[in-house]
Amino acid sequence: MARYFLLRLADAIPTIWLVLTLVFIAMRILPGDPAIAALGDMALPEQLAAFRHKMGLDVPLWQQYINFLIGVLSLDFGQSYMNDEPVLNLIAANLPYTIELTVAAMIIGVGAGVPFGVLAATHRDRLPDSGMRVFSLLGYAIPDFYLGALLLIGFALNLGWFPINGGGDGFMDRMYHIVLPALTLALVKAAFIGRLTRTALLETLGKDYVRTARAKGAREPRVIYRHGLRNALLPLSTGMGLSLLATLSGSVAVELVFNRPGLGRLLIQAINERDYGIIQGGVVVFALLVLLINLVMDLLYIVIDPRIRVKS
Amino acid sequence: MNLRRRQFLELSAATAAMSMLGPALARAASDPDTIRIGIAANGPRTSDPNYTTQGGDNWATEQMYEQLVRPDDGTFATTPDQYRPTLATEWSASSDAKTWTFKLRQGVQFHKGFGEMTSEDVVFSFKRAMADGTNKPILSNIADVVATGPYEVVITLKNSDVNLLGTSIFLNNTAVVSKKAVDQMGAEKFKTDAVGTGPYELTRFDSKWGTALKRHEGYWGEKAKVAKVESVYIADTTARTLALLAGDVDMIEAVRAPGWVDSMLQRDSTLQFDMTSPGSFNTLHINLKRKPFDNIKVRQAIMYAVDRHAVAEAMKPMGGFTADLQPESFPGGFKTEDLPPDLQYNYDPEKAKALLAEAGFPDGFDFDSNVSQREDYASIMLIVQEQLRAVGMRMNLHIGDHTAYHADNQHDKNTLALHSSSYPPIPTQLYVQQLSTKAEVKPDGTGGINYSHYGVAMPGIDDLLAKALQATDYKAYVDYCRQIELQVLRDLPLIGMSTLSFTVARNARLDLGYKVQSGYARWRFHHATKKA
Repeated sequence: MARYFLLRLADAIPTIWLVLTLVFIAMRILPGDPAIAALGDMALPEQLAAFRHKMGLDVPLWQQYINFLIGVLSLDFGQSYMNDEPVLNLIAANLPYTIELTVAAMIIGVGAGVPFGVLAATHRDRLPDSGMRVFSLLGYAIPDFYLGALLLIGFALNLGWFPINGGGDGFMDRMYHIVLPALTLALVKAAFIGRLTRTALLETLGKDYVRTARAKGAREPRVIYRHGLRNALLPLSTGMGLSLLATLSGSVAVELVFNRPGLGRLLIQAINERDYGIIQGGVVVFALLVLLINLVMDLLYIVIDPRIRVKS
Repeated sequence: MNLRRRQFLELSAATAAMSMLGPALARAASDPDTIRIGIAANGPRTSDPNYTTQGGDNWATEQMYEQLVRPDDGTFATTPDQYRPTLATEWSASSDAKTWTFKLRQGVQFHKGFGEMTSEDVVFSFKRAMADGTNKPILSNIADVVATGPYEVVITLKNSDVNLLGTSIFLNNTAVVSKKAVDQMGAEKFKTDAVGTGPYELTRFDSKWGTALKRHEGYWGEKAKVAKVESVYIADTTARTLALLAGDVDMIEAVRAPGWVDSMLQRDSTLQFDMTSPGSFNTLHINLKRKPFDNIKVRQAIMYAVDRHAVAEAMKPMGGFTADLQPESFPGGFKTEDLPPDLQYNYDPEKAKALLAEAGFPDGFDFDSNVSQREDYASIMLIVQEQLRAVGMRMNLHIGDHTAYHADNQHDKNTLALHSSSYPPIPTQLYVQQLSTKAEVKPDGTGGINYSHYGVAMPGIDDLLAKALQATDYKAYVDYCRQIELQVLRDLPLIGMSTLSFTVARNARLDLGYKVQSGYARWRFHHATKKA
C-alpha cells in the first residue's frame, strides 16, 4: 500500500511540472502588463521600470522561468504585486475558506443525494423517481452564480435569515456564513449524486445475489443497504470524486457572489490584475488539491473493493 | 417527524408569504454606532497614505489622516483662497511663489498615544513622500522642506507654484504621519498599522475583509459623532448591491454604467446618491500618427459627428458635459457660448460629412480601435461608434480586458484611445500627463499617456504649459490654461468626451452632515450621524 502510494505520488511530479509550465507560459502570453495593473495607468516610466525590477520581471523569460521553478521547489511563489505580501501567506489565509466550503457542500450534497437516489431507485417510475428527475434537471441547469444570487435574495435579503456576505469570524460565525454558499454548491452535487445512486443501486438490485438475499427472507431495508448500496459504492465513489473536483472549481463563482474570502476569489482578482505570483501559486495549489483528491479516491477504491488490491 | 401533505402546503405558504414581505423584515438596521461602506475591490492593500494605489483604500485613509490644509467638506478648492486651516493654522508664500511658510497647529495628538505632532513629523512626512511615494513626480518640484521651529515649516520649490496647496499640500501622500510610529514599527508594518492625526484611528486591517476604525478620542477638532467606521471590500456588483439593500452596509461605491442609479431607485426609492462633479475626465486621444487622423478635417469631422451632450446624457445622472477639456466649474474651463463660434463644435453630422468629403473621403472610411470592457469605457465608445458610423467613419471596435487595454495603449497600439482619470482643479496636471511632449507614448511602453503624439507629430502646447507652470500670479496661470484649452480645440489631438461623477449609493439612515458636490473619490465621516 505504501509503495503504491509513493509510486502514485511520483507519477504526479511530471503533471505538476506541466501545470507549472503551462501557467507560466499562459501568463506571459496573456496581454496586459502587471506593472501597469499594479501601479495604475498614470504611473511614470521610471516607476514602472522600478516595479519590474523589484518583481524580477526585467530579466529574460528563461531566467524568470528558472527563478519561478526554483521558488516553487522551496515553496516560495514570490511577492504579490497587489498586496506586496508573500504569495504563500495570501494563499494560506484564503485556502481554509475554500476547503471548508467544499467540504460543507460535499456533506450536504452527499447527505441529500444518496437518500434521494435510494428513494428514486426503490420507487422506480413512481412519484419520488419523477421528482428526482425534475430535481436533477434543475440541479444541472441552474448555474452556481445564479442559484447563489437567488438564495441570497430569498434567504438573506428578503428573510434576513443568513448573512449577505463575508466568511465570518470564529467557528460558529463561520458555520453561519457558510450555509447559503454551501447549499448553492450542494444542489448540483445532490442532483448528480442522486442520479448516480439511483442508477448504481438499480443495477445492483437486479443482480442474482440480491434476488438470493430476498429469497432467503432478508428484510427489504437490509437488502437495499447491505446488498444493494454497499455494492454500488464503487461507481458511486468515482462519482463523488468527480463531484468533489467540480465543487472545488465551482467555489470560484460562489466565493464571488457571496463575497467570501477564498482561493477562487483571490485567483480571479489576481487574473484581473495580472498578479503572476498569486496566479501561479494558486493554480499550483488547485492542481495539488486535484491530484490529492484523485489519489485519495484511488486509495478508497482499494478499501472498498479488495479485488483491486489484488490486481495492483 | 412525518410531514403530511397539508402541513407541507401550510409551511410552504408561510415561507412564501414571508418572502413577499421584502426588505422591511430584513435583519435589524445595522448598528447606529458604525458606518459601514462597501468598497468595489477585493481587499485593502495598504493603510499608509503614501502608498495607496487602489482608490477604495482612500476611504479609510481619508478618515485617519490630515494634511496641512484641506478644502471644505464635499468640495474641491477651485482657487487657492478656498483652502481651510487644518494641521497648519496659517501660511504665506513669497512673491515668486517659491518659498512657502506654514505655521502648525499646537496640541495635535497622534493616534494610539504617539504624542504631539510637531514640525519634525511634517518634514518627515514630506521627505518620505518625495523620496518614495505614489505621487513622487508631482512632488519633484519641492527642493526642500525644513523645520524652522517646533511649529513652523518652510517649503522651498525649484519652480514657482501658485497652486502649491492643491498640487502638493492637499495630497494623500503628504498627509502627516507620526515619525515616531514609523521609526518604532518599521515601514513594512506601518503599511497595515498606520498612525495619523485624523478623527478616526485604525483598529483592524484584514486583507480578506477590510479595515475598521474607531473614533480618535484625542482629536484636536470636533470629535466624530459616529463611533466606528468599517470599509468592507465587496468586488462583485450583485453582492455589493444586495449588501446595501439588506442593510449590511450603509453605503456602497456605485457602478458607473448607464441606468444603474435608476435601477437602484426602483429597488429602493429611499436611497440617496452622493456624486462628485466633475468626477473622472473621459478624454479621447486621436492618434495623430495614424492616417487619416493626421488630417485636421477628419478630426474636426469627429467633433461634429459625436454628440457629446448625448454621451453625457446617456450616463445620467453621473455624466457631465465639457465644452473643452476642463469642466466649466474648474479654472481654465469654458462654457460653450463663451468659446469662439468655430471652436464650439455643436453636433452637426452634415457638416461632418462635408468635412470628410473635403478631406478626400466622400464615402467615409473603415478603421480599427480598441476599448476596455469596463462599463464606462465600453458604453461611451459604443455610442461614439454609432455616431461616427452615421457620417461614414466605420470604427471596428475591439472590446477587451481592462488591463490588456491599458497595456496596449501604453504601447501605442490604439487609434482612438479613451482614457478616464480624475483630476483636482489644477488644469496643468491633465496637460502635463496627456498633452505634453515628454509624456508622448512610445511603442516599447516606456513613454507616458500622451497617446495622440501631440507636440511631436505636430507642434503642441509645451511653451504655453511652461509659462503656466512658471506663473507667479494665479490669474496669469489661469489665463495660460485657457489659451491651452483654445489651442487644443483648434488642433484636436484630444477631445473632452464627458465627465463621470464618482458616485456612492447610501441608505437614508446615514446623514453625512454636508452635501457632496465635488472632490476626490472619498469623503469624510466626522460630521456624519446615523439613525438606528
